[in-house]
Amino acid sequence: MGEEQGPRRKEAGPDDALHTSMQRVKVYRLTDDGKWDDQGTGHVTIDYVEGSREIALTVVDEEDSDTLLIHHITSDDIYRKQEETIISWRDPEKARELALSFQEAAGCSYIWESVCTVQRNLQFNVLDVQEASPPAAFESLEASRNPPFHDESLSSTNRELKKLPPLDLSSLSSILKTILECSMTERMRVSVAELILQYHDFFPQLVNLFRTCESSGNMNALHMIFRLVKGIILLNSSAIFDKIFSDDFILEIIGALEYDPEAHNVQNHRSYLKEHVVFKEAIPIKNASVVSKIHQTYRIGYIKDVILPRVLDDATMASIAAIVHANNAVVVCLLKDDASFVKELFSKMRSSNISAESKCELGLFLLEFCTLSKSLQAVQQLRLARDLASEGVFDIMSDVLQSQDKVLVSAGTDILVYFLDQDPNLLRSYIARQENSQEGNSLLGLLVQGMVTDFGEAMHCQFLEILKILMDGFATNTPTHYRGVIDVFHEKHLDKLVDVIALASSPMDITQSTSSPVGIGARVDRSAKTEILSNICELLCFCVVHHPYKIKVNFLRSNSMEKILTLTRRREKVLVVAAVRFMRTVIARNDELLSHVIKFNLLKPIIEVFVDNGDRYNMLHSGVLELLEYIRKENLNSLVIHVIESFWDQLVRFEKLGSIQAFKLKYQQLMESGETTQSTSVVDMRNKTEERGLDKEEEDYFNKGSDEEDSAKQTTCVQKQSLDKLAKGSDIHQLPARRSDSADKQGSQPPASSTKSSVGNGDVGEEDPATLCLGLLFVLLALLGKALGLAAPAAVGSADRTVKCWDLETFELIGSSGPENSREYFVPNEVVWL
Amino acid sequence: MGTSDLDRQIEQLKRCEPLTEAEVKALCLKAMEILVEESNVQRVDAPVTICGDIHGQFYDMKELFKVGGDCPKTNYLFLGDFVDRGFYSVETFLLLLALKVRYPDRITLIRGNHESRQITQVYGFYDECLRKYGSVNVWRYCTDIFDYLSLSALIENKIFSVHGGLSPNITTLDQIRVIDRKQEVPHDGAMCDLLWSDPEDAVDGWGLSPRGAGFLFGGNVVSSFNHTNNIDYICRAHQLVMEGFKWMFNNKIVTVWSAPNYCYRCGNVAAILELDENLNKQFRVFEAAPHESRGVPSKRPAPDYFL
Repeated sequence: MGEEQGPRRKEAGPDDALHTSMQRVKVYRLTDDGKWDDQGTGHVTIDYVEGSREIALTVVDEEDSDTLLIHHITSDDIYRKQEETIISWRDPEKARELALSFQEAAGCSYIWESVCTVQRNLQFNVLDVQEASPPAAFESLEASRNPPFHDESLSSTNRELKKLPPLDLSSLSSILKTILECSMTERMRVSVAELILQYHDFFPQLVNLFRTCESSGNMNALHMIFRLVKGIILLNSSAIFDKIFSDDFILEIIGALEYDPEAHNVQNHRSYLKEHVVFKEAIPIKNASVVSKIHQTYRIGYIKDVILPRVLDDATMASIAAIVHANNAVVVCLLKDDASFVKELFSKMRSSNISAESKCELGLFLLEFCTLSKSLQAVQQLRLARDLASEGVFDIMSDVLQSQDKVLVSAGTDILVYFLDQDPNLLRSYIARQENSQEGNSLLGLLVQGMVTDFGEAMHCQFLEILKILMDGFATNTPTHYRGVIDVFHEKHLDKLVDVIALASSPMDITQSTSSPVGIGARVDRSAKTEILSNICELLCFCVVHHPYKIKVNFLRSNSMEKILTLTRRREKVLVVAAVRFMRTVIARNDELLSHVIKFNLLKPIIEVFVDNGDRYNMLHSGVLELLEYIRKENLNSLVIHVIESFWDQLVRFEKLGSIQAFKLKYQQLMESGETTQSTSVVDMRNKTEERGLDKEEEDYFNKGSDEEDSAKQTTCVQKQSLDKLAKGSDIHQLPARRSDSADKQGSQPPASSTKSSVGNGDVGEEDPATLCLGLLFVLLALLGKALGLAAPAAVGSADRTVKCWDLETFELIGSSGPENSREYFVPNEVVWL
Repeated sequence: MGTSDLDRQIEQLKRCEPLTEAEVKALCLKAMEILVEESNVQRVDAPVTICGDIHGQFYDMKELFKVGGDCPKTNYLFLGDFVDRGFYSVETFLLLLALKVRYPDRITLIRGNHESRQITQVYGFYDECLRKYGSVNVWRYCTDIFDYLSLSALIENKIFSVHGGLSPNITTLDQIRVIDRKQEVPHDGAMCDLLWSDPEDAVDGWGLSPRGAGFLFGGNVVSSFNHTNNIDYICRAHQLVMEGFKWMFNNKIVTVWSAPNYCYRCGNVAAILELDENLNKQFRVFEAAPHESRGVPSKRPAPDYFL
């Protein structure tokens, strides 16, 4: 049909024929015995019912011009579009099921869209303007009214919309009516927008009329103006937005929007914007057009988020968000290209003779600048981040982090997070260089210090977040600086953090027997706050997962693990649970640390808190049971034997719990199958608990290997275990092939790792064909997951996520009634993990 | 934080005025201590009123309390999805959390699939926190609390309540005991399924979920679960039902939905399920708050701006 349409467009005949075929429908009615009865064939239109303000859908018989069907469109959700060409509904007045079967899909979509628009307008009640308008105006309005859904409207939309009358008090209601009626379809909206734009005096006249009405207190007219402005915004025309958001009109437009007829009181938007909102100029901006853009952006955002969020449809919301986005980009661009601007900002921030207050303002300004730069294209963002880094932003941040002003420190951490989002290597290489040159205060040191500092109510986990991104072990493309940061952290700072825990937990024997130097950590607060300890514990878990080799060296050589486990003595259950999770993370590595755990009886504090907790079914109870379950399911046999032989006396009182029973059973099976060799050595080892020397094998271990090899080994090991399990099929119920039990291993890790490790699995596959198969299976699973996630492509990956989601929702929800339309989609791996 | 402080904060939140960042932090730390003591299958006594998804529709939740009675007078169980989509996720969640801290035994909050860092970054809560506070710290506090929320509830040993549905990994309630719930909602496994799955007429046994997480499960799965665990029926939320509640599979599972006119546009009514001390059921259906009572959305951006 498309190719026919072009050349013939100007001729009237075929055009009519075309639209006739678009309107051609068969009418069906459901009979009492459940059959669809053909009522005849005709042409469908949507129009006002004569002499009424209701809109009806009418079908006129193509042969005898009888009315086959007349149905008043209701705002109730009764219409359904089926397949491409059928619209059906249950007529509430006549209590019968009706259906229209269209000759052409295009005609069906057109009528469907019109029905939806009419419904929307009915819901928003915008058509109901008469109450407020005087009878005289009503007549003129009737005279000038353009029937929006007349037959011709399918072919020519603006033939009759030649011009608008001059806008004044007398024509206000008729113009309002015209605009609201014409807003029902996309094509009509476009033409009415064009009409308004052709008419140059429209907006000046609108503003004048508004001023007059406001000064004379004509509330009826002000309410109409509100509707008119709202209607004009909903035309969603970018040319109109350019006009009404310009400095000439925007405040009056906002003023007009204060008179919402549905609100109880007149809103005070203008006075809020003029009196309460403060535009802060941390650095004087010389370019007047930049300043004006900044104000404009704030006001547009205010209209979008404060005045009209309920009113705007998704498309208009998206257009306005795009304007804000583009404005931000322009502002940031103009400022960043002004070489003197950034220099001036940075030199002010470096300067020692400015007040603490203005220093803080500058920090907040820089943060806002960084935040807004996210409106730039990715390449430009990255370039800006690099430029700022080479201008010395990290030196300034070192300074900021040492400030006494908590607000400034908090802004500083957010700025660092921004840079890490852009390119973590900028900060990594800065830190590596700084550590080598030994100049100034080490930024890494400040970050670690930040983690253990009590900032009262101002700070939460920003330092933890920064350190995690800096030392993310999966960032494999960053060999040198990344290693540098991790090495320095493990050499200089890890013990300090562990000691904070040891010192904060009850002052019993373990802290006294410490062999490592306390150093800077000596200054730390003995009564460190719960959140600080819990953040440290989380960072340590992170290191166990991401730097298994380094942390193993530390743990095997010192009593760090014992110190960390003193958290089990804390009164706060949250910290006890954190200690259990730490042990769980260590055990999940399934490396030499397992024998270390056995040798030094490190499960003892865990089992003890579990037993002390008694029958209370809380997070501690579940955490320890999960740990035991993991040991059993992963066949960590040495630990199974160790736990039963060392702690069964205590655990026996929990024998009625399924997981404890299963654990005991596992032990018995191991005993029966004769795997007892290990157990004796375990007992031997336990006898040597006091010794602190390293075993021969551990010593050997230190002389080779690194974290990379280690991770690779780990992956292979995990795969093999999964393979065993898959072969046995033991734990798996009858599941769709989507999931393998091995995926559970990734449960406690950030989701970003799951794809990466899946891809990695392909590389190690050469060792063994079975592993290769499994690797492929992993990749397939990852792809399948992606495919499922792709169901919501509009929802993610855009700069303005919220708006896009609503897009998705509109699509999902139009005409929805049942649960199937309310679904959200889970989108794995799309969102940055914080 | 004394009781009087807390009462003042509750009053403030009932007016839909958010707390300060510092107050949120203190409240969350307090809530954490309470929630860490709750079990994965939290036991709840009757009488109790069960509520489904709220989704930040603060004024509609006030309608809910009008219909169901105030907490602590009425004992409440909320089935998750407090945040996202509506305009007032912050106020909605904080009011519920403040009530939890003030009356820990009179209100139970369990986790929904939207109580997650990932989901809230896409569906609105993250942006709302950023807009209302100028930083994402409040989002950080709240999402940390999400990790402590219980996964399900069991009313008088007879009614199993959960946000989404069942999991092929869970045949007995005791298997839920061994989940370490302190984590982001995983992409699969038992914990994920409890929060994401849906019952489905057309499925026999288990089916792939179009949501990309969790499963679809059929009537036979529900029958055998209810039989194995000796429960009367399952009460869940998670799916929009136009009538506010919907029974399936011969009254073996019921969906309760408590966000009227969902997303301010779906035109549905909402319901809560009241159970008396003998577990007699009464559904109370309610509609969205009238327009006037909603006021201007308090989405005001921070009043100071540089750029």
